[in-house]
Amino acid sequence: MSSREDILQNIRRATYMKYEKPDLKPLEDVALSYPDRLEQFFLVMKQVGGEAVLLAKREDVNDFISRNYPEAMRVASNLEFVTCATCNPDRVEDPSELDGTDLAVIAGKIGVAENGAVWIEQDVKQRAIYFIAEKLIILLDRNHIVNNMHEAYKLIDTGKYGFGTFISGPSKTADIEQALVMGAHGSRSVVVALI
Amino acid sequence: MSTKHSKAAAEFLENKKQAAWHDETLWMVREKRDQLSKKVPEWEELRNMACATKLYSNSHLDELLVEFERNARANGAHVYWAKDADEYCNIVYNILNQHGVKHFIKSKSMLAEECELNPFLQNKGIEVVESDLGERILQLMHLKPSHIVLPAIHIKREQVGELFEKEMGTEKGNYDPTYLTHAARKNLRQRFIHAQAAMTGTNFAVASTGEVVVCTNEGNADMGTSQPKLQIAAFGIEKIVPDRESLGVFIRMLARSATGQPVTTYTSHYRKPREGGELHIIIVDNGRSNILANPKHIKALNCIRCGACMNTCPVYRRSGGYSYTYFIPGPIGINLGMLKAPLHYHDNVSACSLCYSCSLVCPVKVDLAEQIYLWRQDLDKLGKANCMKKVMSGGMKFMMNRPQVFNMALSWAPQVNKMPRFLIYNGLNGWGKGREMPNFADESFNEMWKKGKVK
Ligand code: SF4
Repeated sequence: MSSREDILQNIRRATYMKYEKPDLKPLEDVALSYPDRLEQFFLVMKQVGGEAVLLAKREDVNDFISRNYPEAMRVASNLEFVTCATCNPDRVEDPSELDGTDLAVIAGKIGVAENGAVWIEQDVKQRAIYFIAEKLIILLDRNHIVNNMHEAYKLIDTGKYGFGTFISGPSKTADIEQALVMGAHGSRSVVVALI
Repeated sequence: MSTKHSKAAAEFLENKKQAAWHDETLWMVREKRDQLSKKVPEWEELRNMACATKLYSNSHLDELLVEFERNARANGAHVYWAKDADEYCNIVYNILNQHGVKHFIKSKSMLAEECELNPFLQNKGIEVVESDLGERILQLMHLKPSHIVLPAIHIKREQVGELFEKEMGTEKGNYDPTYLTHAARKNLRQRFIHAQAAMTGTNFAVASTGEVVVCTNEGNADMGTSQPKLQIAAFGIEKIVPDRESLGVFIRMLARSATGQPVTTYTSHYRKPREGGELHIIIVDNGRSNILANPKHIKALNCIRCGACMNTCPVYRRSGGYSYTYFIPGPIGINLGMLKAPLHYHDNVSACSLCYSCSLVCPVKVDLAEQIYLWRQDLDKLGKANCMKKVMSGGMKFMMNRPQVFNMALSWAPQVNKMPRFLIYNGLNGWGKGREMPNFADESFNEMWKKGKVK
């Protein structure tokens, strides 16, 4: 008999009692919500070590970059309005070529007010760009901020690439004596630019 | 009576400064967890739903695993089933071998630890690099994790500095955590880029979508899986959740419970292989289905490995992860060890003061202390209870059935220099032997709880 059948049979033999699937609706109805989700999002972004800023329109991101990231030489983005981009991660064959990217500008779908997470549905050939860039700007529609993860999970998907990730602030670790350090392996800084 | 745990704990306590630091630091993590959970008014309802969802999924594993398999295959993943550690290791090896992989990068996986994957692969000539900073430190030191979430919590910055000086050429005498972390970032970046395959553990496997979900703060799982095109993920059968709605419940609790963060930095959903790449998923039993048949202990399968029960445990904090004989320490480790091989791991059962703090903080309501209490009674049947332990069992039963006596004994504890008799016999004695501090806080946990100091 295959291991698959073995395991399934063991499971069936060992399962005495079947429990019902709980109804999450009552929990979702009382889950954390905020009178001003935008305000809360600003607050929580700070707590997770990132930052949120407001932009009037998405094209303003170019100005924002030249003002705030003057030292960024290699800027990666596949968003056509990011005119200051020097590299398009859609046209990169080998993701290792993205090592050394100073700044990546990417698009987020949903922001979550309770924890600063922004859902990124992969929309670029090399998903490495979400993690390998030293600094990250995530563009997000300010009307796409939900209260909590229950709401977020109803709205997200993984798209044609079959990958998505919630990113909440910069990469971090406290593995050396519980001292918090930003920039473990992923981006050292994360700014969510709300449009 | 002294168990393996108490002897090892005595050793740990010899370095008083380090032991005190360990205790205080983990308590700080516990306090962060308290602050974060208090900000969520529906916390208890979340715990109830998390527990109920696990009871549902673990009692429908046959259906959910098959659903997962069907969906994962439709997504283009390869799915394997491994009955035990040996089969799991061999599956991983065969995948790597078929692809000619010699350099392999891994993110943290307690399952790999459980099945001793690294030594297995290394014996076959495959270089395995751990990419989680704590795990990497331990790998280079040839040590094992002492905590499931904070693997290197027992290591001091000076040790890391000296290690990195040797391994990564960092400046002599520079023990700054930021400096050392960034040195590791640079060093491991090359490892990520040159790896031929990447492996991750799995926090959750979603049946309705066939995706595996991995939570990290460092981004190491994602750095690994976005470089080489060959990705392997493995999970124990109890990691399955029915759908994304249920997943939301667990994601809301995991990081809050583990480190006192509102969510981990990255919560990644791997559904399809990368373009031109491969995704291999291994479903592992390794004794888990046997636990299903054990209704008194079935909730041990609820565990989402957040580590909160360790951080809160007065015994764990003061004795360190290495004092336990099972590879997972603390309250959950005591129970999982007993479920694995009671005759082998019964020493750990004494490493508990039955304060029940673990049961109260556990986000998925594993009845940790209740189960430990049951094990203590069972030691008799296992022939592992010596005379002293029988007294202990009897004494505990007497106390636990009479809460007033139990509380009174606790409230006397700080005033008397000698511990009350029942505590002498419950194994706390062995654990506390090496300590010079008073064994009891001025207020018992119960008192603090009542006064609202503990939430
Ligand atoms: S038993 Fe509960 S508290 Fe302990 S690690 Fe598992 S989920 Fe966390």
